[in-house]
Amino acid sequence: MFLMRFTERAYFHYTEEDVRNSYRSAVRLTFPNSHFDPDMASDMYNYYLDEYEYCEQMGFDGLMLNEHHNTPTCMGAAMNLEAAILARATKNAKIVLLGNPLPISDNPVRMAEELAEIDLISRGRLVSGFVRGTGVESWATNTNPVHNRERFQEAHDLIIKTWTTPGPFRWEGRHYEYRVVNPFVRPLQQPHPPVWVPGSASPETMTWAARRHYPYVFLEADPEVVGDAKAIYAEAANEVGYEPGPQNFGYLFRVHVQDTDEKAYEVGKGFLAGNAGVGRVPMPSEYMNPPGYTSRQGRQRSSQINLRPDRLVGGVDAAGYDRVVGLNRIVVGSPDTVVRKLREVLSVIRPGILAVWTNDGSISHEDTMRCLELMDAEVLPALRELGDELELPGPFEVAP
Amino acid sequence: MGTIGATEERVQVGGASVHLLKGGSGTGAPVVFLHSIEGNLGWLPWMETISESATVYAPTHPGFGESERPDWLESVSDMARFYLWMFQEMGLDKVSLVGHFLGGWIAAEIATMNPGILESLTLVDSAGVRPRDGEIADVFLLGEEETLRRSFHDAASVPGYDALFGGDQTPEQREARVINREMTTRLCWKPYMYDRSLLPLLHRVNAPTLVVWGAEDSITPPDAGRRIHQAIAGSRFEIIPQCGHLPYIEKPEEFSRLLRQRLSLA
Repeated sequence: MFLMRFTERAYFHYTEEDVRNSYRSAVRLTFPNSHFDPDMASDMYNYYLDEYEYCEQMGFDGLMLNEHHNTPTCMGAAMNLEAAILARATKNAKIVLLGNPLPISDNPVRMAEELAEIDLISRGRLVSGFVRGTGVESWATNTNPVHNRERFQEAHDLIIKTWTTPGPFRWEGRHYEYRVVNPFVRPLQQPHPPVWVPGSASPETMTWAARRHYPYVFLEADPEVVGDAKAIYAEAANEVGYEPGPQNFGYLFRVHVQDTDEKAYEVGKGFLAGNAGVGRVPMPSEYMNPPGYTSRQGRQRSSQINLRPDRLVGGVDAAGYDRVVGLNRIVVGSPDTVVRKLREVLSVIRPGILAVWTNDGSISHEDTMRCLELMDAEVLPALRELGDELELPGPFEVAP
Repeated sequence: MGTIGATEERVQVGGASVHLLKGGSGTGAPVVFLHSIEGNLGWLPWMETISESATVYAPTHPGFGESERPDWLESVSDMARFYLWMFQEMGLDKVSLVGHFLGGWIAAEIATMNPGILESLTLVDSAGVRPRDGEIADVFLLGEEETLRRSFHDAASVPGYDALFGGDQTPEQREARVINREMTTRLCWKPYMYDRSLLPLLHRVNAPTLVVWGAEDSITPPDAGRRIHQAIAGSRFEIIPQCGHLPYIEKPEEFSRLLRQRLSLA
């Protein structure tokens, strides 16, 4: 099993009240950046990078980063910069980017160059995930949401071709045109760095990923939904002639360890404090899903496939802490408790990639470091055994 | 969609099937109404009034509601070229164009491309030109409900409001609204609701032109109308008091009176 650590690198010095009093009570897109204190943020970026460096020393296989825009819930607005720092500051762990929001890029060749540099500096440790981004990413960059999926696919095709086809060549697409594609810098990993795709079980994206042998990482999804969604992935994989296994699937969720169950339960509440983590005050639907972001075909496909809705009404952030913890959608506890609960989750979902989202919201750097120490000493060794026992190979053990 | 008083027809243009409402007859040049972002709202009272003296066409733009979008149609100027082609297919040599907001922008583009086709031009709370004073409200950011709320000076006094905008919707109606917003996004996302070249090109328009605005329009600032009026020689600029963004729905009688004057109808 491939084990990686994640945090959204939240900026948390504001209150839920601040969010409620803002335009459309939205924590993203229009939440005023006058709430941002550069001195605090400077410390926070450094804490977060320290934590990632420590995670490598602990023996995590991967350091996972993500990217969002115009939001305090994630300070990784320029994720590739953080990745470049980690490429140089670490030596062994994979740098897993889940992922670069391709549709908002006006220059995918530049994206191919940046990623190639990260791969080279890290000596071939880049995992290059690609995403469509939330609607907020379209808003923040003024990218027409109607073209989101087309741009995602075309930018992907262009990046892969840039990495794998000797230049110079010309690109005349629907959204991108280049006279001379020939960046001198190419990635170290051949034919190109692995591509993984994270998401919330969109059937269109899962099918797209399956056809390309790209592992799909479920983000905090209901295990029942994961079961349905894996079947969609498997169907598309079968069509192109292979049977997916655990190496094709990942699962990300919030896991926090402290010395005792009681302490972990208390500290874990920080995941849901105010709006600091992902956010409890619901976002205006236009922000996350602007007109055209979901295509007509996508809407029809989703209604035909009929994925079951998440059993947590309002999702992990709004359903209530006890209920979320009770259903193992957030796992908190002492090392023993966490290992026991992870066994339950992994037995059902059977991912070859496990992303533990160790801290966010108001969970302090000190509590995070204690959580990581305990994971190092007791949880990671147990998880490695568990991965072997449950036969959950990761994508670097068995090719997806 | 209310269609009493009109017939529903389809026109084939460049491989796309376009839905339209048609009603009335008379000696006046045919009147073509180009709808806005809400899509085709059906056969409206002002159309009934005007159709006593002229044939009125209310097409559903390609990509909206029941009309197909040709794959190449991606912009407002594409839309204008499409309509010029459609008028040709329909045998309409001269038209009185009336357009509201998005439809006004399309009408203005048509007018700059082929001024000779115009018997007259009426632009109602139109998009297409950036105001110097104020900004065109971001209807995507506001969301549908808030946009609607801001569209009227006094929604409670609007005749037929519930039939047009209120009440329960069928799944088909809901899907049509999603489609309309999607097509609006396709056309108007960036630059938002205007075209830099439109204002200088409007000087080319030589047909009788009426620019009409709701005094309380909080979607398109009246200054945009003033700029259009200043660009088109001989145009009239009429501001309807106590009226929001949709004068032909909020003040249909006043709107019809101004339009009949401009169209020189009895």
